[in-house]
Amino acid sequence: MSDPADISPAGHISGAPGRIEPSEPGELPTPPMRLQFGPSHPATHGTVRIMLELEGEKILNADVQVGYLHRGFEKECESGYYYQNIPYTDRLNYSSPILCNIGYCMAVEKLAGIAITERCRYVRVIAGELSRIADHLLCIGASCLELAAMTPFLYLLEARELVWDLLDALCGSRVTTNYIRIGGVAADLPDGFADFCRRKLDGAMKLLHDAEKLLTGNPIFRERMEGTGTLSAAELIAYGVTGPVLRAAGVPLDLRRVEPYLVYDRLDFDVPVGEHGDNFDRYLVRVEEIRQSRRMALQCLDQIQPGPVDVDDPRFRWPGKNRVFNRMEELIDQFMLVVEENGLMPAGEAYFAIEGGNGEFGFYLVSDGTGKPYKCRVRGPSLCNMHPLARMIIGRQLADIIPTFDMINMIGGECDR
Amino acid sequence: MAVQVKKVLRPPPQITSWRSGLAIIAGLWVTTRHLIANLFGFIRGRQDFTVYYPEQRFLHAPALRGMPVLVQMENGRERCVACGLCEWACPTSCICIFPAETDSEVERYPEIFDIDMTRCMFCGLCEEACPEEAIVMSRQIEISTYSRGGSLWHKEDLLVPESRLRTRIDFLRSQYGR
Amino acid sequence: MEDRNDSPPDREPAPPLMEKVLAALGELVIEYHRERGDDRIHVARENIAAAAQILRDSPGLSFDMLIDVTAIDYCGQPDGFRFQAPIMDQNRPIARRVSHSRHRVAMPERGPLPRFAVVYHLLSTALIHRLRIKCRVPEEDPAIPTVTGIWPGANWLERETYDLYGIRFSGHPDLRRIFLYDEFVGHPLRKDYGKQEEQPIQEYVGPGGHLPRRPYIGRTGQD
Ligand code: SF4
Ligand code: SF4
Repeated sequence: MSDPADISPAGHISGAPGRIEPSEPGELPTPPMRLQFGPSHPATHGTVRIMLELEGEKILNADVQVGYLHRGFEKECESGYYYQNIPYTDRLNYSSPILCNIGYCMAVEKLAGIAITERCRYVRVIAGELSRIADHLLCIGASCLELAAMTPFLYLLEARELVWDLLDALCGSRVTTNYIRIGGVAADLPDGFADFCRRKLDGAMKLLHDAEKLLTGNPIFRERMEGTGTLSAAELIAYGVTGPVLRAAGVPLDLRRVEPYLVYDRLDFDVPVGEHGDNFDRYLVRVEEIRQSRRMALQCLDQIQPGPVDVDDPRFRWPGKNRVFNRMEELIDQFMLVVEENGLMPAGEAYFAIEGGNGEFGFYLVSDGTGKPYKCRVRGPSLCNMHPLARMIIGRQLADIIPTFDMINMIGGECDR
Repeated sequence: MAVQVKKVLRPPPQITSWRSGLAIIAGLWVTTRHLIANLFGFIRGRQDFTVYYPEQRFLHAPALRGMPVLVQMENGRERCVACGLCEWACPTSCICIFPAETDSEVERYPEIFDIDMTRCMFCGLCEEACPEEAIVMSRQIEISTYSRGGSLWHKEDLLVPESRLRTRIDFLRSQYGR
Repeated sequence: MEDRNDSPPDREPAPPLMEKVLAALGELVIEYHRERGDDRIHVARENIAAAAQILRDSPGLSFDMLIDVTAIDYCGQPDGFRFQAPIMDQNRPIARRVSHSRHRVAMPERGPLPRFAVVYHLLSTALIHRLRIKCRVPEEDPAIPTVTGIWPGANWLERETYDLYGIRFSGHPDLRRIFLYDEFVGHPLRKDYGKQEEQPIQEYVGPGGHLPRRPYIGRTGQD
């Protein structure tokens, strides 16, 4: 275990390029080639620019530059009411938006001290796990595409389409879900959702199985994935990497296991870990997590009991419409809640993290007692996961960038915010 | 309930062995199966996965959130009472309301009700905030225009008779008792 | 890699975390709180590197992962916000006439304390506990020692804090903007930076130009 303090901060390359000493006497020394990789490279699913210094195909130095998708999310949040920021969180990790919704709403609930109802917990777990399946399917599918395997990409996107059908039935929208609310969810599960869910997930699992047959044994895929992008667990921890990338290195750090929130302590699931920490392990961990997520969603569908999904707390949750239409108090509550003039949020601060698609997805909220957050900080896993990319690729081949970058699964929305 | 940590199993490397040839044959078998299923699947009633838009339309769930529209009552008037809650709740502030007074029993109505569709993100918060069920998310999602000015929808464009919004209103009513 | 306990660790460590932290850090802690289940300590900014080193290396704490570095612009007010801050103008009738006026940010009154607070979130991956460290940093000299030597992951997070808040991390190996471009004027997450503020248009320097637009590695080609 190397001392993390020894790790030289990879990245900035300054000064004149070094020289490559000639291998044969009599040859002239050549400066390394400078190559700009990105920002919109066809083989990366994310806008990131990597400045490379190459000697032939070998990467001598790399400088990863993020920020092309910076939209000022945190500034925007400071001028919106707490409930108005929920649609914006969809745009953080746009391949698993419900997980972002859950993270934000649970942070607000922690700040406000709301205890959500039992059914709401289950509904959130179901929606979140479906979203996680869609996220991993996209990650694996896009990586196949970028490694020039078109067929598994199409199968996996078809599988994701089936999962999106479920989310469509649940939230009314496929990507911009805006589903979770502070103290509840926007709509209860529709009728017959359990059977629909089982049918669609079975179809998706069949497609995943087919894609896996095409990938796991395929010699080309394995040659590109095995042994590339390796980094030891100690270094990954020192860089703050979480999620499947860290688990592939053998560290079973999954917030659903170590800090169970919602109902994860009542579910039966496995946390897959790898042992080598290379890209192939990251792929295998993601495939296994899809299976486990399906298992969790189905268990929740079995365990869920009828009951109210929203808290009955007139300070935070908008009352049900049948009461708004018929009773005066609730009508007044509705006005007060929408207008948020009276500052119901207690002053203080709270940090809450959930296990997002790529790792620890945390929100740090500071309230000054008004209806708007004084500060809303997003701890997106992608930023910390992208940081050691330079260390993973330096000293390797140019072609190893693609599988490494794909398996880190950088999502510009949550990395650059 | 038990949460276990499980090592993922990686199949033995096959790069040089004869099994790598087998893996390729297995892969070809998968693709062939999909090809045959897609070509002749219609005999067994397999549904096409491709939707031939715009001749065919995707069948959306009742929960679908399209563009926000105003509900028109039978008497041709809007149900909106210009309370302004949707304007407050809208995160992108794309709704603009100017209230006016009327002699009928609702007393107030919006003289101007504009939605800037270039900024609207179909989030549905206006519908949730409305205490009168006067603004609902329709099933209309095709709202492209030839000019930018065309994306500013006025009250007359936004009014949709209640009978055409049945699916959404029924869905909303099913959620009332949450 | 050492063996990790495969069953979920206890939710409540036997002696509360804060006692261990106080025993390890001693004089370095200015004050400490427990708020909504989160432990928080305040440290003077000169001591942050020393405190971080102790927190990472003491066996009972072993905060080996730096989750997050960020800052808060308190405008000199105390952390607890015992007042109603008039942060945003909420004048909706004006908002109707002047587009976006709701989003205009008004600078709240200044208090006597240092203006910024740099916030660190730590996690121990082996023992699963979290800690938040806060350091107040004054406006006149917004600088704080870096912790990149202790957690290399702090590199980008500190660059982000520098980019958005303008807090300089002394000793940082590579302190440049990370999200915004170099010519950006101001630091957008400070409370005195209006949301609709506009930036000067930069002259386009094409390829081969003498001034690269983005941080560039060295000079191109010629040697
Ligand atoms: S759907 Fe959302 S963005 Fe559009 S008008 Fe309603 S509240 Fe505003
Ligand atoms: S909330 Fe409903 S009633 Fe009030 S102004 Fe908007 S549409 Fe009209």
